[in-house]
Amino acid sequence: MSTNTLVLTGTRTNERLGAVLVAAFLGLGLVFMVGFAPAMALHNAAHDFRHSQNFPCH
Amino acid sequence: MIIRLVSAALVAGFLAAVVATGLQLALTSPLIIAAERYETQASAAEPALLSPASLIVRVHGGHDHGTRDPSVAGGEVAPDWQPGPGLPRMAFTALATLVGGVGYALLLGAVLLACNREPNPETGLRFAIGGFLAVALAPALGLAPELPGMEAAPLADRQFWWVMTAAATAMGLYLIVIRRAPITIAGGIVLLVAPHLAGAPEASHAASNLPASYAAQFAARSLGIAFVFWAVIGLAYGWAWGLFGRSRAVHA
Repeated sequence: MSTNTLVLTGTRTNERLGAVLVAAFLGLGLVFMVGFAPAMALHNAAHDFRHSQNFPCH
Repeated sequence: MIIRLVSAALVAGFLAAVVATGLQLALTSPLIIAAERYETQASAAEPALLSPASLIVRVHGGHDHGTRDPSVAGGEVAPDWQPGPGLPRMAFTALATLVGGVGYALLLGAVLLACNREPNPETGLRFAIGGFLAVALAPALGLAPELPGMEAAPLADRQFWWVMTAAATAMGLYLIVIRRAPITIAGGIVLLVAPHLAGAPEASHAASNLPASYAAQFAARSLGIAFVFWAVIGLAYGWAWGLFGRSRAVHA
C-alpha cells in the first residue's frame, strides 16, 4: 500500500488538504456551470454538451 | 501543490475536450440536430415557427424549457439567447466541453490527492474509470441519454436523482475499491444499488415522432464518448502531473 502513496505526511498535510478543497470547489463549480446552471443562456450554450454527456436537460 | 494540480487539470481538460469535441461533432451533434427537426415539426402549431426563415434562426425554438415567464402578457416571450446555428453552435459546444473537461479533471485531481495516490497515467486512468462509472454510466442506467424532444420527467427531479446517483456511486466505489474492508464493501454495494432501487424519475411514455433508432444510437454514442472523455482526462492528468513536477524540479 505504502509504495503507491504519496510521501506527503506531516508538514505538507495542510497544503494537500487545501489543494483538495480548492480543486474540488473549482471543479464542482465548473461542472455545475456547464451541466446544471439553470440560466437559459448557459443552458443554450452548453446544450449539445449536456445532451452528449447525459446531463439532465430541459 | 494547488498550482501543479490546476495546471495538470487544465492540460488534461484541454486534451480531453479536443478529443471529445471532435467525437461529439461527428457522432452526437448530427443526431441532436436531426431530433430537433422532429421536435420543431411536432410543435409546428406555434405560428412563429411556420416560416422557413424563423425555422433556421430558432432551430431550438420548439422547446418548452419550463422557464417561460407566465407573467408576461399575451404569451409573447422574448427568445432566450442561444448560439447561432453552424459554427457558433459548434464553438459553444467546444467551449462547454472544455469547461466540463477541466471541471472533471480538477475533481479527479482532488480525489487522487485526497486518496493519497501519486497521479500518473495508470492511477489517473483507474480513477477516471471510476469517474465514468459514477457520473456517466450509473446515472444513464436510470436516465438514459436523451435527445431533444423526448418526453421526460420534470427537470429538477431528474437533476436531483442524477446528482444523488453520481455521489452515491462515487462513495460506493470508494468504499469498495479503496477501503476494501468487508463492512465497507457491504456498505459500498448498498450505495451502488440504492439509487436504482429508489428508482429514477419516471419518464412519460407518450409517443414521440422521433425514430427509436436515433434514440438508441444516441444513447450508445453518448456513453462511448463519455468513456473516451474520462479516459483521456485520466491519462492526460497523470501525464501532466508528472510533467509539471519535473519542470518544477528543474527550475528549483
